[in-house]
Amino acid sequence: MCVTTALVHLCLVFLYNAPPNVVSQRYQRQINAWIYPYFEQNWQMFAPNPESAPQEVWARAATTSAGGTRRAGRWLDLTAQDTAAVRHDPFPSHTAQNMLRRAWSLYSTAQGTGDEPGPERARMLRRYLAGIAAQRLAAHGSGAFDAVQLRVDTTPIGLPGSPGPRTPSSTQILPWWQVTSHGR
Amino acid sequence: MAADRTPDPVTRAFTLLTERAVSLHAAAVLRAGYGLLYLAFLLREFPHRDEIWGPGSPWSPALARELQGRTGWFSVLTLSDRPAWFACCYAFALLVCALFALGWRTRALSVLFALVVTSFHGRAILMTDGGDNLIVLMAVYLAFTACGSRWSLDARRRGRRPARPAVRQAALVRVRLRTVLHNCAMFVIAAQVCVLYGSTGLYKVQGDQWRDGTALHYVLHLGLFQPWPALSHLADQHPLALAVTGYLTVLVQVAVPFAAFSRAKYAVLALLLGMHLGIAVLLGLPVFSGAMIVADAVFLPDRFFRSLRRPDRSRRPGAAPAVPAPAVPDVPARV
Repeated sequence: MCVTTALVHLCLVFLYNAPPNVVSQRYQRQINAWIYPYFEQNWQMFAPNPESAPQEVWARAATTSAGGTRRAGRWLDLTAQDTAAVRHDPFPSHTAQNMLRRAWSLYSTAQGTGDEPGPERARMLRRYLAGIAAQRLAAHGSGAFDAVQLRVDTTPIGLPGSPGPRTPSSTQILPWWQVTSHGR
Repeated sequence: MAADRTPDPVTRAFTLLTERAVSLHAAAVLRAGYGLLYLAFLLREFPHRDEIWGPGSPWSPALARELQGRTGWFSVLTLSDRPAWFACCYAFALLVCALFALGWRTRALSVLFALVVTSFHGRAILMTDGGDNLIVLMAVYLAFTACGSRWSLDARRRGRRPARPAVRQAALVRVRLRTVLHNCAMFVIAAQVCVLYGSTGLYKVQGDQWRDGTALHYVLHLGLFQPWPALSHLADQHPLALAVTGYLTVLVQVAVPFAAFSRAKYAVLALLLGMHLGIAVLLGLPVFSGAMIVADAVFLPDRFFRSLRRPDRSRRPGAAPAVPAPAVPDVPARV
């Protein structure tokens, strides 16, 4: 029985990692039932292509007055904070290397998909991202605020031997998100 | 294995599976390796523990519970939002990792280690990377192995006690069952590592940048994976070397499943070790690289570790020892 379980497990792990094919499509339900959640895996490390246009996430805070007018603060470069934290650290923290980077990439992919779990997942990831931004802004001394806004700059890396562009090739500004009041 | 001259291959396979626990030293390396690695990870993140796993994380306990409800993941950390509960879990995790690495009561500790690793991973699943993913898989698999029977406190305690001959039928059956379970789990670990390298290599083959040899140029320019910018820029000034290294990386990764069960594995493992040490330093990914290096140890057979200890007796790693009774007998394996 051990042998059978081991072999079946390996077949399912193989099918889960293999490109979608006739077999894995037919048995998708069984494969997912076995793999999720504990055997979930993804080995696309720097593959198929490493990131060639890294994104930089900025955030700013705002207070809303009783009359409904919003007063926004200065933009804070959250990704630059992470990069600075990684610099000269032989053992960088997950909070610098993974937290914001993965939160943003998960959110932007969850936004893109129009399928069923998309909106729910995007809602959870939005709260997560807003929470990260709020924590960073509060730590940076942004005073009292009740809303945050993100801006994402994309700057492509130059081809080998040539310096990349100095200015971002595209900028995406997200809507204001309400957060629980900070600094009150 | 090949020395067994039983004519019937089925009997031979059955004997191999039930009577001889394979790669006990490799299992011990995996145990100590992952135990220490997770301990180092937890200690490194100690200043950030609340931000990552605690009640104060932006990935709030409520959000984590909502996601867990969908995925079915269990984490002891979301059982309560109290800071005291989190502190207890954290201290417990440190203790479990240390004791597991030392091999104290390994049978029980291996299950607790799997519980700790899955709990911490599941609580901060959106912050994890490939290295964390591999540690979870290995922690689960290791719970089925006899990873405490070599180089452990358990082994030392057993060594002090006079050996009790297993006479009762029930005890014999139990030993055999454990051996089968261990052998199957070690095979699953080895195959899982093959799947990992095979798929990551084949993913890369599909990428333009890995094909034209510029992939490492882009990797070296990622600010979050640049702990030593001067070093990254220095490496980036050698495009030919980077192209060769990139090609070698892909080829070696694709080769792992084919080379892992042959003599060629020693060359492949040496290249992988070099690759991972490079990643650890240049890209600032020590936990990820450590997890991969420890996983690679699964391919090292017991005779390799014996030849390390007694280099005078058997020079070649593949050579059978000249004296038939080794200092550390594999049979009968008390697992």
